[in-house]
Amino acid sequence: MEPVLQNTRFVQRAYWLIKLRWIAIVSVVVGTCFCSNVLAIALHDFALYGIAILLALYNVTMLLLLNHFTKDNNEVPYTAVKKIINFQISADLLILTVLLHFSGGIENPFVFYFIFHMIIASILLSVRESYLQATFAVLLFGLLILLEYLQIVPHYCLRGFVPRCLHRDGLYILGTFFVFTTALYLVVYMTSYIAIRLRQAEQAHKEDNILLREKDRIKDEYVLRVTHDIKGHLAAIQSCLAVVANKLVGSLGERQSDFINRAHRRTKKLAGFVGMLLKLTQMRLNDKLEMDDFSLRNTICSAVAAVETKAEDKSMILKHNIEPSVDKIFGNQLSIEEMVTNLLLNAIKYTPENGTIEIDVKENTDSVLVEIADTGIGIPKDEVGKVFDEFFRAGNARKVDKDGTGLGLSIAKQIVQRHGGNIWVDSEEGVGSKFSFTLPKTNSSRSIS
Amino acid sequence: MENAKILIVDDDQDITEALQAILESEQYTVLTAADRTEGMEKIRTNKPDLVILDVMMSAWQDGFEMARALKKDPEFKDTFILMLTAVKDRTGIDFKSTAGDPNWLPVDGFLDKPVEPEILLAEVKKLLSKKT
Repeated sequence: MEPVLQNTRFVQRAYWLIKLRWIAIVSVVVGTCFCSNVLAIALHDFALYGIAILLALYNVTMLLLLNHFTKDNNEVPYTAVKKIINFQISADLLILTVLLHFSGGIENPFVFYFIFHMIIASILLSVRESYLQATFAVLLFGLLILLEYLQIVPHYCLRGFVPRCLHRDGLYILGTFFVFTTALYLVVYMTSYIAIRLRQAEQAHKEDNILLREKDRIKDEYVLRVTHDIKGHLAAIQSCLAVVANKLVGSLGERQSDFINRAHRRTKKLAGFVGMLLKLTQMRLNDKLEMDDFSLRNTICSAVAAVETKAEDKSMILKHNIEPSVDKIFGNQLSIEEMVTNLLLNAIKYTPENGTIEIDVKENTDSVLVEIADTGIGIPKDEVGKVFDEFFRAGNARKVDKDGTGLGLSIAKQIVQRHGGNIWVDSEEGVGSKFSFTLPKTNSSRSIS
Repeated sequence: MENAKILIVDDDQDITEALQAILESEQYTVLTAADRTEGMEKIRTNKPDLVILDVMMSAWQDGFEMARALKKDPEFKDTFILMLTAVKDRTGIDFKSTAGDPNWLPVDGFLDKPVEPEILLAEVKKLLSKKT
């Protein structure tokens, strides 16, 4: 259960009621005008217009009241809003009865508009409250026709619409009242029935979601434990192989050395893969990332410095252009530096010799945009959307480096999302790729994850 | 510093022996210990110049506790500690960023596990050269 969410929805519905009432008010005015002037039905125009004005005043009051309760956005008192809705429906029923009284009472077919209120009550309120509202409506209507029948209150006959006054016609009154009463209770029964089932389904759906998230977390913990253990053994294997491969415990023949070197190389790759998997799982499990103010400018510069030799080895041009205003942002420096370094290494890996890699850093109002563009192999059109998926590797990337893990970009995505930013790629196969990401400048603009 | 005495404290014997082989190739005198108790004993009796410490021994905070105990002891506070860690994997804490904060984790260097021979030797050499 998320009470806050439910409250928000409840408030939205309260506003929806107010909106509906504006429509009702306009309809009353237009309807009265039309019936009275065009259809020449005898109506107490002034009383009806007066009620419309009263309705408008009442609606404004409700709006102000609701605004008052919801102005502190975060905490909406549930019971208060519920009371407002209950009051609104009861008041509506009362006003509708008065309206009916001035427009023919039992003769006016608009009596069945009470049904709308019953539907609204059944959706928004509890079953008990809905039946109470129905009973209130029945009592109001019953009282109206009774008082008009006994001539305690005057009856305004709807001349021009009905051939004769019906308020003294016992059978007609009883019949209409019977249908009216049963219709109201039946509507409440049916609507509540459906509304309850919908609410239950929604609740079940919510619980399922929580369960799924929990299962996902258990899976991540499992992966974490398993990969951690694998990594421990791998570390031992790698260390032992390193000793032999580096001939620290005696020399080997050429063939022995060759095989040991292969085993060592493969172990290192596997350890790297397991390490990345661990890291990704770790990030998925850990909600918090230590954040602080740091210089994005320096971070990008040091990432560039870290890959410079690699770019030189392939005779590449590595340019970076950081807008002068870009400096401090709020985030986790280590992970950003690692991510930028990895994006740059990717660009170098997938760009042929003599290519160009360009980093552009621009400042927006409350975020910073970093773009890393290369003149590399690009990503096939139908695979662009998948490159941030875990374990996904584009077909042409496999040809360049068959041992990639397919986790680097997933980690990058996790890092950027943790910061409340976005990451995306524009690419054309054979022309190049441009990876872009945004990072919020300050803590306050960071979205709560 | 030739012939410096190095103690390796790690509960993974395969790793201990591999590290030993690497260090012995550079003529360091290498001692090993499998846990914190044995480690402290060997430190007292042999007074090594450098302790290579695994953070994640059987009880995962053993490495931390040992580093803290060592640096508090006036007799051993000048002993260098090089911490080997794969601890980030489990805790998500990046120890490198907190290195140098003597109150938190008083060690002189960090290396990620597994460590390649040349990197280990370079780090060991760097640390020992600080010793006067």
